[in-house]
Amino acid sequence: MATKPISQEDFLKFREFFYRKTGIQFEDSKRYFVDKRLIERIEATDSGTFRNYFITLRFETTGEELQILTNLMTVNETYFFREEYQFKCLVNSILPEITAQKKDNRPLRIWSMPSSSGEEAYSIAMYLLEYWPGISQWDVEIISSDIDTSILAKARLGKYSDRSIQHLPKSLLNKYFRHNGDDYQICDDLRNAVEFTRVNLMKASDVRSYRDFDVIFCRNLLIYFDDLSRRQAADTFFDALNPGGFLCLGHSESMSRISSLYQVRKFSDSVVYQKSKGAQ
Amino acid sequence: MKRILIVDDAATMRMYYRSILEGAGYQVDEAVNGIEAMEKSLEEPFDLYIVDVNMPKQDGYSFMSELRSRDIFQAPALMVSTEAAASDRTRAYAAGANLYLVKPVKPDELLTNCRLLLGEVNQ
Amino acid sequence: MALIKQKPTEIIEQCERKQARDCASLELQLSDPSPSARRWAARDLVECPDSSAALIEQLQREEDSSVREIILTTLTQLGDEEAVAGLVSCLRSEDANLRNEAIEAMKLLPDEVAPIMGQLLKDADPDVRIFAVNVLESLRHEQVEEWLNEVIEHDAHVNVCATAVDLLGEVGTSYSWEALEKLKARFPDEPYIRFATDLALKRISAS
Repeated sequence: MATKPISQEDFLKFREFFYRKTGIQFEDSKRYFVDKRLIERIEATDSGTFRNYFITLRFETTGEELQILTNLMTVNETYFFREEYQFKCLVNSILPEITAQKKDNRPLRIWSMPSSSGEEAYSIAMYLLEYWPGISQWDVEIISSDIDTSILAKARLGKYSDRSIQHLPKSLLNKYFRHNGDDYQICDDLRNAVEFTRVNLMKASDVRSYRDFDVIFCRNLLIYFDDLSRRQAADTFFDALNPGGFLCLGHSESMSRISSLYQVRKFSDSVVYQKSKGAQ
Repeated sequence: MKRILIVDDAATMRMYYRSILEGAGYQVDEAVNGIEAMEKSLEEPFDLYIVDVNMPKQDGYSFMSELRSRDIFQAPALMVSTEAAASDRTRAYAAGANLYLVKPVKPDELLTNCRLLLGEVNQ
Repeated sequence: MALIKQKPTEIIEQCERKQARDCASLELQLSDPSPSARRWAARDLVECPDSSAALIEQLQREEDSSVREIILTTLTQLGDEEAVAGLVSCLRSEDANLRNEAIEAMKLLPDEVAPIMGQLLKDADPDVRIFAVNVLESLRHEQVEEWLNEVIEHDAHVNVCATAVDLLGEVGTSYSWEALEKLKARFPDEPYIRFATDLALKRISAS
């Protein structure tokens, strides 16, 4: 028996719940998109009705179903220069502010996680080299971490498909990659510029030594965590950052659903979160 | 069209305010707590705020103080709470609110006070 | 200047290592003058099952919000009776931030707070009753709808009832129809109650 269509009231009920949990607001025009995925999950979980499914969604302590659903509701491809406006923000606003106040000559430190197959970390590296004048004055260390060792191996290898590189300007593609048949191989200079490490963000012993960062990129990871884990992650990042350091989340993520530790900052390219300069 | 931001974690309360305010011709946006309210305010400032006190992550008093300390357009704010004690009223004003109402707020009470804060003539 | 890689080194500073990380000294460090030291102590106390009392004590006098947040995270992870009792006491605080953070922490401990919900919903302070209804939002318990009905049938305070109606719109069933209709008659001069109740009835009927 096919699942009944989602009623208007049920859609509104779900929409409010999802907005409360994630900050993502569905407009009425997204009705078809949302209903389709809800029905998919109602069937996958053998819930029978929206009502039963909603109960599961609301009360599951692991938050697993909400995560699966969130995954379906959000777009999560990884590719070079994804959410480029944040890299622009990095070079146009964040790094200039940090360097203006920096009192020492130690390298700037950037942490990117999850590394996934490395596109984000290498994107940051390219952006700094190509678009940040300050790279001629400052050393920058880029560390990129993930819990999954096989994906880390992929990242270190630096071999990519058409899909990954499609948003890169041709000039950068030619400069930093070698085209080998179907693959694009990132050059050794960039591969050597990023440190890929294995880290379980939820494990205190793993993250303890991650300190003194100026910028952390944690995009499209926390949205898949349950409430408590998200909070722990935000807490961990707080102590990983220098006072005045910045945290960048994914475009549909917000600290409003996670933690009050950070100050919201708006730059022309992006909204980001800052650890107070006076924080001890 | 004047833009009003409703800052309250209770969805039904936001709907209630929205129905009253949209009915009176205002453009309405919502936030569930002070952090979201600040994010939205930084994107484009509002003409008026309606701010609940008790919200998770960042409460109303804290949001008001922060809003008043920021270099953005300082719109008037109506603070709403369950507390009727004088000390809470004083706190609200000290944080930077312009008016303090005790909930539940009746429609005409809401509209009259919004118009007052927006500098509009009462109709 | 350029992109560099440093040799992975132990970045932990000497001064932190010199203090032993055993439970007794961690509890003492909860009142260290440095917020960073207090945060690390609060974080590490998650390994110390008897530390809830010390954490609650510090929470109630802690002025640094970053430390408070970590203490609350640890209390949530410990989730023992003492932690829950301490969170309940925070509901009565003058500090709005502390009250609301305690609610959030309690929402993450549904099984642990379930035994005390009945009594919290009858607390003498209407605000505590409102907060108790807030906590019910995450509680999967066969009595939740019954409790909410009791509130809207008997609670004298309009805002406690309003909070309960809000939740019934999300979790209510036909069991609550009658009580919701009666609520409108209980507060005939409150447009918000009428609005919220009608909305809840609409949501329930459509399920």
